[in-house]
Amino acid sequence: MGNLQFLIMLLLSPLLQGVIKKIKALSQGRVGSGVLQPYRDLTRLFKKEMVIPDSASWVFHAAPYIAFMAVIAASMMAPVLNAGAPVFRMGDIIALIYTLALGRFFLTLAGLDAGTAFGGEGSSREATVAILVEPTMGLAIFTAAIAAGSTGIAAITKSSNILQSPANVLAFAAFFVALLAETGRVPVDNPDTHLELTMIHEGMVLEYSGRYLALLEWAHYMKQMLLFTVAIDLFFPFGVSAGGSFFALLPVIPKAGILYALKLLLLAAAVAVTESSRAKLRFFQLPSLLGGAFVLALLSIITLVMLGR
Amino acid sequence: MPLIKRWIEVFPVTDFISIGMLLSVVAVVSIKRMEGCLRAYVINSWLLAGLMAAFAVWLSIPHLYIAAFFTIAGKCVLIPFFLRRIMRNLKIEPGAQSSYLNTPASLIISFALVVLVYSFISAGVFVAGAARNVLKISVSIILISLFMMITRKKAVSQVMGLLFMENGLFLAGFSLTYGMPTIIELGVLFDMLMGVMILGLFLTQIKKSFVSVDLDRLTSLKG
Repeated sequence: MGNLQFLIMLLLSPLLQGVIKKIKALSQGRVGSGVLQPYRDLTRLFKKEMVIPDSASWVFHAAPYIAFMAVIAASMMAPVLNAGAPVFRMGDIIALIYTLALGRFFLTLAGLDAGTAFGGEGSSREATVAILVEPTMGLAIFTAAIAAGSTGIAAITKSSNILQSPANVLAFAAFFVALLAETGRVPVDNPDTHLELTMIHEGMVLEYSGRYLALLEWAHYMKQMLLFTVAIDLFFPFGVSAGGSFFALLPVIPKAGILYALKLLLLAAAVAVTESSRAKLRFFQLPSLLGGAFVLALLSIITLVMLGR
Repeated sequence: MPLIKRWIEVFPVTDFISIGMLLSVVAVVSIKRMEGCLRAYVINSWLLAGLMAAFAVWLSIPHLYIAAFFTIAGKCVLIPFFLRRIMRNLKIEPGAQSSYLNTPASLIISFALVVLVYSFISAGVFVAGAARNVLKISVSIILISLFMMITRKKAVSQVMGLLFMENGLFLAGFSLTYGMPTIIELGVLFDMLMGVMILGLFLTQIKKSFVSVDLDRLTSLKG
């Protein structure tokens, strides 16, 4: 049963997106669309006809499937409710990050493949952001990994409880900025607009329609939920059960589920509030923000080494 | 009270607060607006006062409460008040602070300073007890604010650097000695207050003679 935890992320990730949008709308004084709207969007897109550019090669057709499968493979490696499942031996946190990078690589290729200006622009920006974010994310994760003595996500989840040292707090702050950049949130990218000057993710998927677009959007939602889950697993995993037999887990799982939902809600609220209170940065100012996050992550590691666990 | 004492021991409260102070100084390196710098200074001073109060509870040193109170009164209320008034009177534009280095480079250098301090102090100096970690952090704060004074162009941000440096010195002082005599702490605070006022006068003079508070223009004295 524990091996099927990724289904939670597969099925509920559009809901999380809906919740973030709802909180954002409420904090801006709007009513906003219902929390189930992403599901409706996805079903509508799945029904629609596809328009394929004439210049598209096989990369264009393969990218949506590869991006979607990469996110699913990555989300199999992160514990949601139960950290004791055998599937977590499949890969550690580094494998997770680079499986996600595989999906991103094909997405950037697909953006270039159609041969339009916006696709190339989006791809180039996405690659730049990826280069800037990766060291921050890696260092923040290594802080948690050094404290736990293992890079396995399940091992980190089992060994820690909640931000218990200054190093973890700094690492979480750095991770949060990296998370905003990875999920295409406001200081870095604007998820709501197709304004040509600002778009990053939307620019890459501009040529997609119908089924392919639905897959890509769904993959994006899943990646967002997966990164939230990784943040929870690394920095405040209290409540996640350590595993055991099926009957031993029965009473524990509901509590773990409620705690997980609450933590997700908190993170979603943090993201939504950041998004509605900050303006999008100019693209050439991004290195300042992400460089700041990088220094934060460096400080977290040096703090961990010097102050102890 | 014993409960709070235990709480301070179990959670590394002193570590958290002093790391918070270090973080606010690092933030100032990247903040360009004067108002943001001032706010970071107020946060830094609140954290300093909080740390004093934590030490006072933890080690049962009552006169640290008085020091914490005067820190709040002086550094969180009076000095920001004076600085804001000086800036308003001089009509210093609150916008971008020019610096000789760009933000990422300054951040990396301040990180390098922290690494230097951490490695050298852990190798050479033997300090036991509560001050073990606080000393490293306070020396890092002093060096980063010195670095800020060197690289910033405007006189106002150099005053900010001086204030941060004094916070770092205060942190080092009271964590090593567990509180200097109250009269000395009061004297230092009063000195700072006077310093800010004198620097305010000084700034007014610079502004009067050179129209700007940009220190680059002082080189025109060479003639």
